[in-house]
Amino acid sequence: MSAVEARPQAPARRRRRLPAGELAVVAVLAGLGVFALVEAHTIAVPASSNAVGPRAFPYAVGVLLVGSAVGLLVAVLKGDRGEVEGGEDVDTSGGADWVAVAKLTGAFAALVVLVEPLGWPIAASLMFGGTAWALGARPWWRALAIAVVLNTAVHVVFTQVLGVYLPAGPLEGVVGLG
Amino acid sequence: MGDLTGLAEGFATALQPTYLLYALVGVLLGTAVGVLPGIGPAMTVALLLPLTYTLDPTAAFIMFAGIYYGGMYGGSTTSILLNTPGESASIVTALEGNKMAKAGRGAAALATAAIGSFVAGTIATVALSLVAPAVARVAVQLGPADYVALAVLAFFTVAAMLGASPARGIASLALGLFIAVIGTDSLTGQQRFTLGLPTLADGIDVVIVAVGFFAVGEALHVASRLRRGPIPLVPISGRWMTRGDWKRSWKPWLRGTAIGFPIGTIPAGGADLGTFLSYATERKLSKHKEEFGHGAIEGVAGPEAANNASAAGVLVPLLTLGLPTSATAAIMLAAFQSYGIQPGPNLFAAEGELIWALIASLYIGNVLLLVLNLPLVGVWVKVLQLPRPYLYAGILTFAALGTYAVGASTEDLVLLFVLGGIGWAMRSYGLPIAPAIVGLILGPIAEEQLRRTLAISQGDPTALVTSPFAAVVYVLVVLALVGTQWLKRRQARLDAVVFAEAQRDEARLVTTSRTSSAPPTVEGSSRDDHDGGGVR
Repeated sequence: MSAVEARPQAPARRRRRLPAGELAVVAVLAGLGVFALVEAHTIAVPASSNAVGPRAFPYAVGVLLVGSAVGLLVAVLKGDRGEVEGGEDVDTSGGADWVAVAKLTGAFAALVVLVEPLGWPIAASLMFGGTAWALGARPWWRALAIAVVLNTAVHVVFTQVLGVYLPAGPLEGVVGLG
Repeated sequence: MGDLTGLAEGFATALQPTYLLYALVGVLLGTAVGVLPGIGPAMTVALLLPLTYTLDPTAAFIMFAGIYYGGMYGGSTTSILLNTPGESASIVTALEGNKMAKAGRGAAALATAAIGSFVAGTIATVALSLVAPAVARVAVQLGPADYVALAVLAFFTVAAMLGASPARGIASLALGLFIAVIGTDSLTGQQRFTLGLPTLADGIDVVIVAVGFFAVGEALHVASRLRRGPIPLVPISGRWMTRGDWKRSWKPWLRGTAIGFPIGTIPAGGADLGTFLSYATERKLSKHKEEFGHGAIEGVAGPEAANNASAAGVLVPLLTLGLPTSATAAIMLAAFQSYGIQPGPNLFAAEGELIWALIASLYIGNVLLLVLNLPLVGVWVKVLQLPRPYLYAGILTFAALGTYAVGASTEDLVLLFVLGGIGWAMRSYGLPIAPAIVGLILGPIAEEQLRRTLAISQGDPTALVTSPFAAVVYVLVVLALVGTQWLKRRQARLDAVVFAEAQRDEARLVTTSRTSSAPPTVEGSSRDDHDGGGVR
């Protein structure tokens, strides 16, 4: 294939290195499978239950998890590598940008902690603004301004028009928000 | 008897001004969200689900029908106008429309996609109205063992079809089944895999899993590997449809419909297989073979029609058997369940009014899409230009909103983010998401039917295979597993040929006139990415 000729060494190099990430996936799958098998054994079976109680399906899931882990391990050792999923906005050529992910996680954590004391409009604005900033939106105050407008609108539409509960926090009682 | 009356009553309901408005809102929202890059139909449906929480079931499902068809449509606009590889396996078809746009025939590509989608959607919806009640009448006779067999068929074909390799597909399926087990066993009231945590005692809401895997997972995935620089949009140019375009399009539309609808009704993982088969067919039959890989209109018309026809086909097993055969269908099934409605053979009898209104609104949605989408194409272009930091911040916000709206619980938000992390890891290591979603939603149904079978047979496992229907289905499972691997090899080979062709094309353009607006580096990386995924 001509595309392979264009970068002849890259796939070969990748194939020789020990794929730590792939093996971690195998380990997680196997771990979940073992957990399922052990946990399934502790599920109480009421005397009244039929031929097949609450344990059978969990056992089957455990076996499937361990089986797929073994299958994947064999495939990986033979040189099979999972491709990073492509997409319109995804650059698959480089490695993962952990700093951006950490910032994004922080923004989401702020929402979890603040949504009840400060209400949706404020907490979600901080999350939206923080995420947009983490992904490169500049200047920060414009990201925050967009966040405030969007989340106030979302709050009004969901609570007033659609009747979904969202906490208003200190804004409780403000016209259109409470 | 009664089917036509049912449909007529469905139209009477769906044409009421209020419901028409819901259909319109659904179509517009579905298209707008579907146009957004990185958002496929499954994520569109999952993200917009919270909007329907407080509506009455009829309004909710009419809006849903619009979102479903709109989301399908939106994706094709994205792949034609955005100069980057689209998602999923229908990559060759995305390429054809994109090449047309770059060659100054974007308007014709959009038009053939839109009209083809309308033609295919309408014919396929007629087929759905005829086939679904008939299938339901037959399906009434199926026993629990038969449902177990159908579930197994769906599990393994979806896992085998959508993974880069069967091991990865099955790993994803197993993960979905594991999450489905978490919670309280519905038959005996025993807690399973809950670790004693009260949050997990009721199980994890499927909306949270779907939104976590699709929306948060995608946001984290993109955040970790964001493509910087300007958005490589191809300007729309050229005439809409010339006489020649019509002549070259109508047969592919009809052939695409004929291929897509049946493929949609079988558990083959949704639309990808249909679009690929349609593309391969058109390439073989075309008098303009040399244009394939450089922007052949047949390569847009056929697959787009197949895509929409299979969207209607997927509804046949969903409505008549309660069997979801794609991630989108699985999320729709979850939506039905949230209204206490269990799709299956009795659905047309028990919820006839609702189902016929849903089907009627599919016809209406198709017309609305045709009328609205070409005039609104300027709006969709604006949507495509949304700065990416805001786009993904918005996806995360709506994911959190949908989750919080389910139960007003911050613990659910934590769960959402953890599931998003899993979705990100799966994307990073080539595990497909769809099998997990199908396993998650079909798993509990399969378990219930399995236990019912064995309760009736008093523990005799041969009851699972002694029903003739079930036995036939198990044979099909084996055939499907072999067949999908063969098809995938064919697809990989065709992808490689078309891409090599396209690459030569690109190289010529760059060396001679530099008419292509695409920076060669972007093209290079996308091709590497594709090649590694498809050919081995």
